[in-house]
Amino acid sequence: MREHRLTFAVSLLLLAASVALALVLGRYRIEVGALVDILVTTVSGGDVDPSLSGSSLVLWSVRLPRVVAAVMVGAALSVSGAVFQSLFRNPLVSPGILGVTSGASFGATLAFFFAAGSATVVELSAFVWGLIAVTLAYQIGRRSGNTVTSLVLSGVIVSALFTAGISFLKYKADPYQQLPAMVFWTMGSFNSIVWADSIRALSIIIPGLIVLYLFRWWLNPIALGDEDAMTLGIDVRKARMIYIVVGTLIVAASVSSCGAIGWVGLVVPHMARIIVGSDHDALIPFTALLGGTFMLVMDTLARSLPGGEIPVGVLTALLGAPFFAYLLVTNEKRGGWQN
Amino acid sequence: MTGSVQAMESLLAVDGIAFGYRNKPVLHDITFTVERGSLCGLLGPNASGKTTLLKCINGVLNPKEGHIRVNGEAVSGMTRREVARLMAVVPQQMSLAFSFTALQMVVMGRAARLGALKLPSAHDRDEARAAMKELGVESLAERQFNELSGGERQLVLLARALFQETPILLLDEPTSHLDFRNQYRIMDVVRDMTHAKGLSTLVTLHDPNLAARYCTHLVVLRDGHLHRSGTREAVFERKTLEEVYGMEVFVQQIPGGPSVVLPGRSMEAP
Repeated sequence: MREHRLTFAVSLLLLAASVALALVLGRYRIEVGALVDILVTTVSGGDVDPSLSGSSLVLWSVRLPRVVAAVMVGAALSVSGAVFQSLFRNPLVSPGILGVTSGASFGATLAFFFAAGSATVVELSAFVWGLIAVTLAYQIGRRSGNTVTSLVLSGVIVSALFTAGISFLKYKADPYQQLPAMVFWTMGSFNSIVWADSIRALSIIIPGLIVLYLFRWWLNPIALGDEDAMTLGIDVRKARMIYIVVGTLIVAASVSSCGAIGWVGLVVPHMARIIVGSDHDALIPFTALLGGTFMLVMDTLARSLPGGEIPVGVLTALLGAPFFAYLLVTNEKRGGWQN
Repeated sequence: MTGSVQAMESLLAVDGIAFGYRNKPVLHDITFTVERGSLCGLLGPNASGKTTLLKCINGVLNPKEGHIRVNGEAVSGMTRREVARLMAVVPQQMSLAFSFTALQMVVMGRAARLGALKLPSAHDRDEARAAMKELGVESLAERQFNELSGGERQLVLLARALFQETPILLLDEPTSHLDFRNQYRIMDVVRDMTHAKGLSTLVTLHDPNLAARYCTHLVVLRDGHLHRSGTREAVFERKTLEEVYGMEVFVQQIPGGPSVVLPGRSMEAP
């Protein structure tokens, strides 16, 4: 990790800059001077100047919880993507492709349909159904040849299944009371995030990221394949279970707080691999940093582009899909991912 | 236990191993031992069960019957971690889904001795480099493993096995996919490692001539049965080789060198 010290420093600066930018930009413009004023007075315990009370309210109650959620969700989706890729030795998978995201969205929608949106039930249901989805995808993929492509295809199958489930629930839902919230989960966005949501998500995502960070190096031997990892002394089944459970948990927490946002979990780990390599010692923390920054920038763009706010998932797909196509083509030239 | 005297002398004991996939038996009652400091070759035609036997020995597959013992202790009762401290495996030609440097690959040999929340230290990396240096591949340390040639990869994997510091070394066809020169280079390294560290080495080989040149002992499989086992001198002879490979052969002694086997007129399949 030492050789990447500069890379980490630069990325931290970039994250800080995007946070500052995200706090001042938006329909309600906060001047940089006002931002500094508010931060300084609040930190030193004083009262904010009355002329800045509007800005202060926007900053603390609207912008900050949203910024925190975007960074955390970005980090969670990306790290879980990197973990799933290494776990399954498959550079083409992500929480989205494996069906974890749609499974979790289905879980959240289902809980909302029956339990009218108790946040804990939504989270729990998202987690359980996310876990079911990834287990299904893994088992189908393993039984159908256990290749890079078969796992991707089984993920597509599982995703289709849960997307159908979501559509069915939407169709059955009360169009005035339930439907709007359900649409929200299928088209991820941070625009209704308040502190309560951020804190709920953080209380799961942060411990999850810490666990994955602490166990990061073991993903190196695991990425060599089950047999090789076993002969190096790793209890692969147990390790796989831990990584899958924690990876799914943080995705479920993300989906519950802001809905399903695609592509981040696929694209960011790849960008991170290109920059710091595949050694998980550096890859996991760097993926978290990059994912947080990426999501925050996307969300800031989504709400400050001219023409009114668009769901951030639209933007991540617009950027992610072409990037993925580029990866596919260049990797084919370098010998491909097959075997 | 009848084999107790033998078990003390031999580090690795394969004792009545049988294995099968569902209804298809692959191995039947395989018994032999590998002594300390000996390089044992596992010979047999394709599909004779060599690779399966190796996987049973390192515990990746669970034998249906029989036991693998190391110093008399059954491997089946050990954790993966304990097994990995006893035997290192050099897998068949592998390419990685994600690219690690050669040094990162070698460092992974430390996994079985590392605390759960620990990362390899600078000291571990230095030792990994030393293992690479011992095999003359320290210059490859920072190269991407996937960009190395077949022979270089095999040497890096051998360095990883060396760094794993186990008394037993298992190699699955280390010379397949290698050119003529590299086959000998790899086997030279395997022989030297075995002698220098007093390892018990078991290596599956396609080429009986490589086995004749390097191995002190031979185990010959045929259709999942143990056909012959013993010292090279006892096993490497015309009759055994003809039976196992199903063809007519000549065995000749090179003056001052090893025996070699050459094909005669090929026989009709039985």
